[in-house]
Amino acid sequence: MKRFCTPVTCLLAALALVPALGFAQVPAGYPASYADTIAAAKKEGKVVIYSTTDTASANPLINDFKTLYPGISVEYNDMNSTEVYNRFISERAASAGSADVLWSSSMDLQIKLVNDGSAMAYASPEIPNLPAWSVWKNEAYGTTYEPIAIVYNKRLLSGDEIPQSHADLVRVFTQKADKLKGKVTTYDVEKSGVGFMLITQDSKQNPQFWDLAKALGVVGPRFQSSAGTMMERISSGENLLGFNIFYSYAALRAKKDPSIGIVLPKDYTLVMSRVMFASKTAKNPNAAKLWVDYVLSKRGQTIIANAAELGSTRSDVQGEMTVAGFQKTLGAGAKPIPVGPELLGFLDQTKRLEFIKQWQAAIKGTK
Amino acid sequence: MTETTTVRVRPGSAETTSVKLAVDGLHLSYGDNAILKGVSMQLRQGEVVSLLGPSGSGKTTLLRAVAGLEVPHRGTIRIEDKPVFDGSSKLEVPAERRNLGLVFQSYALWPHKTVFDNVGYGLRLRSVPSGELSARVGAALKNLGLGDLGDRLPHQLSGGQQQRVAIARALVYNPPVILMDEPLSNLDAKLREEARAWLRELILKMQLSALVVTHDQNEAMAMSDRILLLNNGVIEQQGTPEEMYGRPRTLFAADFMGSNNRIEGKLSELRGSAALLAGEGWSLWGETRGDAKSMGGAATGMIRLERVVVAEGPGENRVKLPLVTSMYLGDRWEHLFQLGEMRLRAYGRMPLAGGEHWLEIPRSDLWVF
Amino acid sequence: MRGSLPRAAVIGLTALAVFLPLGLIFYQSALNAPFFMPPRTLGSGAFEFIFADSDFWDSFKNSMIIAASMALIAVPLGGILAFLMVRTDLPGRQWIEPLLLIPVFVSPMVLAFGYVVSAGPVGFYSVWAKQLFGGVPWNVYSLTGIAIIAGLTHVPHVYLYSSSALKSLGSDVEEAARMAGSSPFQVARDVSLPMVTPSLLFSGVLVFFLGFEIFGLPLVLGDPEGHLVLATYLYKLTNKLGTPSYHLMAAVAVCIVAVTFPLVMLQRYLLKNAGKYITVKGKAGRQRPLPLGQWRWVAAALLVLWLFLTVVVPLSGIALRAFVSNWGEGVNILEVLTTEHFREVFNQPTLVRGILNTVLIGVIGGGIAVVCYTAVGLATHRKPDGWSRFVDYLVLVPRAVPGLLAGLAFLWVFLFFPPLAPLRSTIFSVWIAYTVVWLAYGMRLVSSSLLQVGPELEEAARSAGASRGRVSRDVTLPLIRYGLLASWLLVFMIFEREYSTGVYLLGPGTEVIGSLLVSLWGTGGADMVAALSLINVVLVAVGLTVALRFGVKLHD
Repeated sequence: MKRFCTPVTCLLAALALVPALGFAQVPAGYPASYADTIAAAKKEGKVVIYSTTDTASANPLINDFKTLYPGISVEYNDMNSTEVYNRFISERAASAGSADVLWSSSMDLQIKLVNDGSAMAYASPEIPNLPAWSVWKNEAYGTTYEPIAIVYNKRLLSGDEIPQSHADLVRVFTQKADKLKGKVTTYDVEKSGVGFMLITQDSKQNPQFWDLAKALGVVGPRFQSSAGTMMERISSGENLLGFNIFYSYAALRAKKDPSIGIVLPKDYTLVMSRVMFASKTAKNPNAAKLWVDYVLSKRGQTIIANAAELGSTRSDVQGEMTVAGFQKTLGAGAKPIPVGPELLGFLDQTKRLEFIKQWQAAIKGTK
Repeated sequence: MTETTTVRVRPGSAETTSVKLAVDGLHLSYGDNAILKGVSMQLRQGEVVSLLGPSGSGKTTLLRAVAGLEVPHRGTIRIEDKPVFDGSSKLEVPAERRNLGLVFQSYALWPHKTVFDNVGYGLRLRSVPSGELSARVGAALKNLGLGDLGDRLPHQLSGGQQQRVAIARALVYNPPVILMDEPLSNLDAKLREEARAWLRELILKMQLSALVVTHDQNEAMAMSDRILLLNNGVIEQQGTPEEMYGRPRTLFAADFMGSNNRIEGKLSELRGSAALLAGEGWSLWGETRGDAKSMGGAATGMIRLERVVVAEGPGENRVKLPLVTSMYLGDRWEHLFQLGEMRLRAYGRMPLAGGEHWLEIPRSDLWVF
Repeated sequence: MRGSLPRAAVIGLTALAVFLPLGLIFYQSALNAPFFMPPRTLGSGAFEFIFADSDFWDSFKNSMIIAASMALIAVPLGGILAFLMVRTDLPGRQWIEPLLLIPVFVSPMVLAFGYVVSAGPVGFYSVWAKQLFGGVPWNVYSLTGIAIIAGLTHVPHVYLYSSSALKSLGSDVEEAARMAGSSPFQVARDVSLPMVTPSLLFSGVLVFFLGFEIFGLPLVLGDPEGHLVLATYLYKLTNKLGTPSYHLMAAVAVCIVAVTFPLVMLQRYLLKNAGKYITVKGKAGRQRPLPLGQWRWVAAALLVLWLFLTVVVPLSGIALRAFVSNWGEGVNILEVLTTEHFREVFNQPTLVRGILNTVLIGVIGGGIAVVCYTAVGLATHRKPDGWSRFVDYLVLVPRAVPGLLAGLAFLWVFLFFPPLAPLRSTIFSVWIAYTVVWLAYGMRLVSSSLLQVGPELEEAARSAGASRGRVSRDVTLPLIRYGLLASWLLVFMIFEREYSTGVYLLGPGTEVIGSLLVSLWGTGGADMVAALSLINVVLVAVGLTVALRFGVKLHD
């Protein structure tokens, strides 16, 4: 869609006008009625966000949002994916105040909430700029483009000890079992919603998934409930290898930590996207809209790609951590997880417990 | 003074009975605080000696030093002629090897052991075979009237019974000397009088030598063959009860034993051992005691309450005083007279009418210090 | 009821604060779904589920093993330490005592994290050991490792009770034994030890009971090898079904309380019995310390070893970790020192708020809690009627509920009663949970102060014409004010150390360092955890220093 002015100049104009006018201009390409939303949001004064993105990564976004819309404070609460879900559910049931915006990497739980009717039906003006797989029902939005990688300890692993694909993982687990005994880590699928989702997606994409599970059982995996802990262990050398870790986390850490090495699997690479939606019962619905639109906007996505280093879904954003940027390394192997009802499959309690039982049996089975 | 009904058995002469305990020149301090400042004493076979004195005089400390629970820094202690403490050669035999019996003021019975085990513990430590142990414990318990209480625990006994268990425990291994710290102070007043007779009888029957700490002079006099009066870490006077009561050598000793009237005055005349004590409008003759006196100096007269006689009329060594009040004590009356500085108490069999009365102060009973 | 309206109000409020959360737990366990979700029905579905879950039985077994090991380790060590400190001439006794009590006041989360960083597979000490010995002979993640660490860190609890029992042994019973002929060692064996046995027994039951409820240590150390205990199993259940499984958690909670409540009653019975042997009659003569001779160096070495393992190792680990940017095998420590973690912490408003809240809840919250405890204490002071007995048992109830559950139960209270909902997101919710959880401890502190007021002083006031209320106000309270200040300090330290109770109440506005540590640990922010832990330790250290400075007795 054509714009009235190029993105960059519009951005600069908006930025320049902010101090002069004391309130933000309607972003370019947005309907004029948006000004009412902005005014109402200013009256609300704040937006409450429950998110799994850690505060350090989100800070560039928050600060920029504040410069864009001064007078709207951002109450950002970072917690893990099950906490986001549990708290939201129980607070809503108690009609207590809860989040205005939910932003979680646990795509399936988010979709479940949206499916249960928790989301505000809001068609963001940015929808035309977003890839189709990342929007569902004009309620749920995928906001990032994050490949899932294999992470290893550079100091202690080398050469063919480093797996390059999912099939290679099986080879490395089997052949290098002695070195890797007790030193491979991944998500505890019972504790981590994200972990569960990734492993079930793997089971869909990888024809040799159950072989991988068995091989993993042989080396004796160390399960963790968060990517941060996994990387801490890999970096210190307590663990040597981890898979199903977000590329974005690993890359961020690798910048300061020379011990972290990353591999994007060559056979296929899951790409997940953090799902965001505004709550139907939000106390600050207009501020929520502003935030959602901001994150989906080019300005927001540029920061996501470059400052927050999470990876942008938009094709018009420059940078390495974008769809285009990853295209070079991933090629056809990139398998973005669509934001949609297919994610609900494994959330069914029976199916979930059955899968977990199968998974645990496979892990323990080869002893 | 009330006579006890038991016969006071006198120990034999000094040459024929052995010395069970000898303390010589004992000094003891807590840090900078000197408690015992040179105490010497002896305890012979079959003697009961009381350590008497006000609190802080050092009597309990002396007892505990003998027991080995406190450490003096100078002097010697010998038990049956064997040295257990010698300050100069740094000899100190620990308490558990002195083989003495100690009866604590609080009885200190072990609450987790039965009466039998409490008493038998000392024998068990001395590896006495169990048959003999049972027999000796049984005998000790019977001796003290505790025959069928062997299986009880201390908290199930009365105060008097606990005391007897504590004594049995201290005696059962036949120590040469038994030490007692205020043995009667935990008993009711009524029981105390019976108990002191019974205790002395027991000690004599078992032919023990006992060193007893007490703060009660009546108790000391009733129970002991000799009394050591301690004052501020030194022995003020020692002697038989009669000597202590009837011939005190210092004002402190006179004041501590018995109930006294104190008369302050000036020494106005001195004739040999007789002295004239004078004050405002009165003068009384008395016997000097203690250190040499100087004419014209201040002096204190002491007379036992029971020696003051309520007389019919004026006479030698008599004063006239108004009656302030009379108190009925059951076996006698105690009358209080006062005029100005002079305040006298006297006993009488009969109540007195109010007003002034003549009081006789017999010359030989008035001690002038 | 004898007494007044205020008394009835205090007792009523306390009963409400205790029974409401507990009642909710029982109610929830009898439902088949979280109580606020529509498809809820009464039924035993929750119990059936957990009884069929092998994880439940595993965690039950592990809890038993750890609890028993803790008692077996802590009781002998604590008893020996108490004897060495109270009865012998061990060198340096004065300054060792506060060090001995450090593990009581440091949060187990902090300690566990310290152990990972110090003695984990690539911990600082492990790496050095590897360089020296070629291998790491210990494993902090194994069940044995966890049990040993738990046992060592609970030695101070046994020490506190045994040392106070030893101190109140009248010296005359020991002197009597010496007069009868026993050597110092025989005295210890035949008199001192049997007389403190009731206290040792009590501490053993106490440590077993604490072992049943531990949460922080197994949370951090049990994860890697998958060892679960009941509390961490319950925590895991938060997400077992993918959606909140409150009914399952309630069922586990009921099982835990079923074991802990009898243990609490047992403790109470044993404590009463322990008093039987206290003989403080008679003159408290000079207690001559037992000379240890050559053994004193062995004893000192034992003490130093315990201090090293239990205090130095974890705390040094935390201190180091807080100042390095990364660590592990092959990393040279001197190259990675930094203060950026602390800057990070202070950059994040949630964490800053957490630190502030922790200080506030300790200082102000602690003070108000002591006021509440005093009110309850006064309601039962010198009024030996049925209501006082009721309150006596009442305060035991929260004791049986682990902090984690209590926080959860209070969350449910706020969810269940919509009018209370606005309070849920204020620090008040955390405060009320803390105050109820520590009710028994606080009451004990206040009671011991109240008991020191001689009854004649109050009776004298009543004869002069003061009503009971005025007696409390004019005589009792002023006389115990020093004791109340001391209690405030102790409650401050306990609140600082708290971590499990705030976990389920964590939300914007209710952050405290303890629950933040649990949450941050879960999301892997180890840098933040290290920095926050160090801040927490500093806060507690400040409290401890103030307490020692004013000669506050650190034991009950």
